[in-house]
Amino acid sequence: MTLSKDAVQIAKAENRSFLSMVWYEIRQDRLAYLSIILLTSIVVIAYCSPLFFPVDRVTRIELSRIYQPPSASYLLGTDDGGRDVFGQLLLGARNSFTIGVCVTLLASLYGLAIGLLAGYYGGIVDQIICRILDFLMILPSLMIIIVFVVIVPNYSVLNFILIMSVFAWFGKARLIRSRGLAEREQEYIQASKTLGTPDWKIMLFEMLPNLSSLIIVNMTLTLAGNIGLETGLTFLGFGLPSGTPSLGTLIALAKNPDIVQNKWWVWLPAALLILVIMLCINYIGQAVKRAADARQRIG
Amino acid sequence: MIPQLLLLSVLIFFLAKQMPGDAVTGAFMGKPNVSAEQMEKIRLQHGLNDPWIVQYGRWIGDAIRGDFGQSFVHKQPVTQLLAGRIENTIWLSLATLIVTYSLAIPLGLLAGRWTGSFADQVIVTYNYISFATPVFVFALLMLYVFGFVLDWFPSGGSVDIRMEEGTAEYVWDKLKHLVLPVLSGSLLLTYSTVQYLRNEIIETKMKDFVKTARAKGVPENVVYRRHILRHSMLPIAAFLGYELTGLIAGSVFIETIFSYPGLGRLFIDSIMARDFTVVTALVLISGAAVIVGTLLSDIILRIVDPRIRLG
Amino acid sequence: MKEENGLRKQWIILVVGLLLAGCSESHSQARVEMELPIFPVEVSNTSLPLEDGEMTVALVSSDPFEGTLSRPFYSGSFDAEIMTWFDESLLSINSDFEITNEGAATYELSEDKRTITLRIKEGVYWHDGEPVKASDLLYAYELLGHPEYAGERYTFTIENIVGMDAYHAGRAKEISGISVPDERTIRVTFKEATPSILTGFWSVPVPRHHVGDVTKGELTMRDLEASDKIRVTPIGFGPYIIVKIVPGESVLLERNENYWRGRPQLQSVVLKTVNESIIVESLKKGDVDLARVPVDQYESVGRLSNIELLGDLDMAYSYIGFKLGTWDDKKKENRMNPNAKLATKLVRQAMWYALDNESVGMYLYHGLRFPATTLIVPVFDSYHDVGNQGRPYDPIKANALLDEAGYIDVTGDGYREDPNGKPFILRFASMAGGDVAEPIAKYYIQNWADVGLQVELTDGRLHDFHSFYELVKSDDPKVDIFQGAWGTGSDPDPSGLYGRQALFNYSRYTSKLNDQLLKAGTSEKAFDAEYRRAIYKDWQALMVEDVPLVPTLYRYELLGVNKRVVNYSIDSKSENRHVWRWGVSE
Repeated sequence: MTLSKDAVQIAKAENRSFLSMVWYEIRQDRLAYLSIILLTSIVVIAYCSPLFFPVDRVTRIELSRIYQPPSASYLLGTDDGGRDVFGQLLLGARNSFTIGVCVTLLASLYGLAIGLLAGYYGGIVDQIICRILDFLMILPSLMIIIVFVVIVPNYSVLNFILIMSVFAWFGKARLIRSRGLAEREQEYIQASKTLGTPDWKIMLFEMLPNLSSLIIVNMTLTLAGNIGLETGLTFLGFGLPSGTPSLGTLIALAKNPDIVQNKWWVWLPAALLILVIMLCINYIGQAVKRAADARQRIG
Repeated sequence: MIPQLLLLSVLIFFLAKQMPGDAVTGAFMGKPNVSAEQMEKIRLQHGLNDPWIVQYGRWIGDAIRGDFGQSFVHKQPVTQLLAGRIENTIWLSLATLIVTYSLAIPLGLLAGRWTGSFADQVIVTYNYISFATPVFVFALLMLYVFGFVLDWFPSGGSVDIRMEEGTAEYVWDKLKHLVLPVLSGSLLLTYSTVQYLRNEIIETKMKDFVKTARAKGVPENVVYRRHILRHSMLPIAAFLGYELTGLIAGSVFIETIFSYPGLGRLFIDSIMARDFTVVTALVLISGAAVIVGTLLSDIILRIVDPRIRLG
Repeated sequence: MKEENGLRKQWIILVVGLLLAGCSESHSQARVEMELPIFPVEVSNTSLPLEDGEMTVALVSSDPFEGTLSRPFYSGSFDAEIMTWFDESLLSINSDFEITNEGAATYELSEDKRTITLRIKEGVYWHDGEPVKASDLLYAYELLGHPEYAGERYTFTIENIVGMDAYHAGRAKEISGISVPDERTIRVTFKEATPSILTGFWSVPVPRHHVGDVTKGELTMRDLEASDKIRVTPIGFGPYIIVKIVPGESVLLERNENYWRGRPQLQSVVLKTVNESIIVESLKKGDVDLARVPVDQYESVGRLSNIELLGDLDMAYSYIGFKLGTWDDKKKENRMNPNAKLATKLVRQAMWYALDNESVGMYLYHGLRFPATTLIVPVFDSYHDVGNQGRPYDPIKANALLDEAGYIDVTGDGYREDPNGKPFILRFASMAGGDVAEPIAKYYIQNWADVGLQVELTDGRLHDFHSFYELVKSDDPKVDIFQGAWGTGSDPDPSGLYGRQALFNYSRYTSKLNDQLLKAGTSEKAFDAEYRRAIYKDWQALMVEDVPLVPTLYRYELLGVNKRVVNYSIDSKSENRHVWRWGVSE
C-alpha cells in the first residue's frame, strides 16, 4: 500500500501520536473520510432525534394506519403497529448503535484486563488464565446467550448489553495476552521492573499504551459484528425487550414474505442503514489498521 | 477434553434448570381436563422436582453409559432423536463449508493480488454487502427467485418422499434439495475468509522474503504460487476447524426457512419447550465439535507447516 | 341449520356494532365498516374424483413434526393431523362433539347413564389385515391408566372409570370397570353419570399385536413411546396406509383398499412440512393442495385464482385475566384474596369496556378475529349464548364505572389513583409469539391509559410461553393482569378452567353460584340439553357480570384449498368431512 509507505515516512519524520496518524490516514483515504463524515452525521441525527420525534409519539400504536406506504406525512410509511418507520429507524439506529458500542467497549475492557494480567505476569498466572480461556472458548456462545436471555428476570437494554459482552471478550483476551507476552520481554519493561515500579503502574502506563493500536483496530472491526448479532437474535425472538425499537426489530419483520415483497418500506431502510453503518465502520477500521501498521514499522 | 466437557455439562445443566417452567407445563397447557395431581405425579416420575444437582448426578451417571436421557417432547431417547437429525446437519454444514471455501479462496486471492483493480472493488463491495445482509432476508429472496419464480430447485425439505432410498436418483434429489440452503448460507459466509485472505496477501506482498524472491527475478506468478499463497493460506487452514463448529448453531435460520430438519432448529425448539435433556445434549455436542475443530486446525497446521505449534 | 342461523345473527350484531364504532371514530377508521368475511365450508368443485389422484397436504410450521404417531402418546398438533389420515376413533362424533353410531362401532348408554357398551362393526381391519378387537380398545385404556404413563391424556373421563384409581396407583392388575365379553364388545362403567362422557369418551384402539404388550411385560412404557412401531411403521384402520416417513419432514400414504367405509378416493397422499413464509407461493404453484393459512397471509391467498378459501370458527378464544387470589396448594383449590388490586368488580367491568377489540381484530387480524362476548365459544352452538353481548368497547361507560368505584385522578397526572388516593399501577403479563403480540399488548395498555388506568408490562417485556405460564401459574405478585388464549376441547363444560378445584383457573376466581352452576352443568340431569343450555346461559351471564376474565377475541381458522380438490368439507354436518371422501379432479 503506497499510502502506508508514505505514512511510515511522514510518521517517522514527525513522530506523531497514534491518533493523529489515524486522522492522517483517514484524510488520505477518500472513502474513509467520507465514511467518518457520514457516520458522524448518522450518529448525531439519531441521538438528537428525540428532539424532533418524541419517543412517546413514535412508539404510539395506531391500528387504523398500520403498514401504510410512504407518504408526505410518513416519510417511510408505517410499521406493524401503525408507527412511523422513519421515527423508528432513528430511534432504532440510536439503540443499535448504543448497544454495539457498549458491548464492544465492555468486551474490550474484560479482554484487556484478563489479557494484560496473563501477558504481564506470564508463568503460572498465564497458565491458569489460559486453561480458563480454553474452556470458555468451547462455549457455544449463541446458544448460551439465548439461554441467558430466557433466564434473566428483569430484562432491559442494560441486561442485554451485559449478557452480550460477557461472551464477546474471549478472543480479545487471547490476542492481548499473546502480544503482552511479547512486550514483556522488551527492555523497557524489564528496566521498569528493576527500578521497582509497581506492577499495576507498568501494566497501565507502559504496557497498555504499546498495545493501544492493536486494541483500537480490534474494536473497530468487532463493532460492526456486534450490531449484526443483535439483529440475528431479534429474528430468533431473543433480542431486545419490546418497546425498545432497534434496527433488528424492523428487519426481523421481514421474516414474513408479504412484508419482504409488498411492504419493503418496513425493513429495507433499516437493512440499508445497517449496511451503510457497517461499511463506514469498516472503511474507518481499515484506515485505523493502516495507521497501526505504520506505527508498528516505526518500531 | 473430557474435563472441559464435564464442566460444560454442569454449567449448561445449571443454566437450563434456571429457565422458568418445565416440559410438563408445556405438555399440559390447555388440557384443562387433566388434574393437578396427575401433573404433579409426572413431575415426580421424571424427577423434575429434585434440586438440579441431584438431577445432574442422575443425568451424568446415565450419560457416562451413553444414555443421554429421554426427550420429554419427542418421547424418545435423546440419542435416537439426535441421530435422526445429525445426518441432515452434517450434509448441510459440509456442503456449506465446501462451497464457502471454493468461493471465498479464489475471490480473496483475486482481490489480494490485484488490489485496487475493478475486480477487487467488485469483490470488496460484494463482501460488505454480504456481511451486512441478514441471512434470513437473503434466504427468503433466494427461495423466491430460484424456488418459485424460476422453479429450478425444490422449495423445502431434505429429499422428496417418493424417492427410493439407496438409488442414484435419491442422492441426486438430496443434492438438489441442498442447493438453495447451501447457497443462501455460503454466499454470506464468505465474508471473513475473503477479507482475511485479501489482507493477508496484501501484507505478505510487503514481507522481506517476498521482496527477496522478486529481487532474485522469480516470475510474479511463481512468487504468488510458491511464497505468498502458501504463507497466506496457513491461517485459513487454521480457521477451518473453527468454521465447522459455528455451522451447527448458525444454520438455524437456513433450517427454519427451508424446512430442513437439523440440529439448529431443534435447539431453539427445545429451549422454548424446556426439553432440558435435548438442550444439554446439544450444547455438549457443540462443545465437543469445537474441541474437535480446534484439534483439526492444529493437525492441519502441523501438516502444512511442521514448524508451527499452536497454543 | 341451527348453526347457520346462530352465525348469521352473530354477523348482524357484529356489523351493526362495528358501524356504530365507525361513526363515533374519526374518518381514518373508515375501514372498520368493511363487512366481516364469510367463508364457505365446502369446496365448490363438483367433478368426479380421479381414480389415481394424489393430494399434497401442507403441515404449516417452521418446525419439523415430532412423529409420535400414536394417540395415547403424541403431543404435537401436526402429529394429530397426520394421524387423521391413517387412524380414527371407533365412534364417530356429531357437530356437538357427542359420540354417534355412525363410526366403525356403535354404542349404547345404560339406563343409569353410567355404562357404555360398545360394539365394533363387521369388516373393520387393521392395515396389516388383523381384525380390530375390543381388546385393542381395552389396551388403550390400559396404557392411559398405566402407573408409568407420562402423557397428557389421563383425563377426568379416564379417571372417572370404575377401578381406574386402583389400576393407576398400581394396586390392581386390571381395570375393574372395563370388561370385554367377546372380541367385538367392550363395556366401560363410570363412577359418575355426566354428559361429559358423551363428549370425552375415548374410543381409539391401539393395535396390541403390532406395538407389543406392555401389560404382559413384552416391553416397557418407555420402549413403546420410542418404538419404531409408532414412529416408522405405525398402523391404524383408517382410509390410508403409511408407506414411508421422512422424519420431521414428510409422510407418504396410499389407499387402504380394505377401508371399512368404502374405497378411499385418492391413490396416494403426501403430507409435508411447509414453512409459513412460503405457504402463499406453494399454494400458487400447486405444490400443495391443502394448507392452513396463517392470518397475516390471508389476503395474499385470497388473491390466488387457483385457490379457494374455506373457513370456520376455531375452538379457541383469547382472554385477558385478572389476578384475584392464589392457589391453595394444601387444599388443592383456589382462594380469592379480598385485598387483590382488582378485587373491585366495577374496575374489572370498566377494564373490559375500555378494550377496543374491534380494531384489534379488524386491523391486526384482518377481520379473522372478532370481539368475543362470553366464555363459551360459538362453536358450541347449542350452548353459546348469542343473546349475551358481553361488554363491547365503550370508553365513556368505562370512565363512568371507574368514577363510580372511586378511582379518580387526584394528582392530575392523567392516571387515576385508588379510592385512598394511592397510586394505582397495574402490571400486565403477556405472551410473546407472532408478529402481532407486541402491538396488541401495547394497544391494550394504551386503551387502558385512555380511561386513566396506568398499566405496565411485567418485567418490561413480553414473556415466552413457559416464563409466562410460570408467572401466572405461581400467582407471582408481579402480575395483576394477564393475556393468554385457551383451546376449549370438545366438552362445553368449563369447570376445568374455571372451577374451584381447577389449577388452570388462573384468575383464582371462586363463588358459590359459580360452583353450583358448574356442578349442575355436568350433573345427570344435564343429559337433558335444554336444562344444560339454561344452566350455561346463567353461567355465561355470571362471568360477564363478575368478569374474572375478559374473553377478548374469537377466531376463524382458514384453509386454502386448490380448486382441483373435490368432496372436501370442514362442515361437521357434511358427509364430506370424512377423510376417505376427499379426492382430486385433475
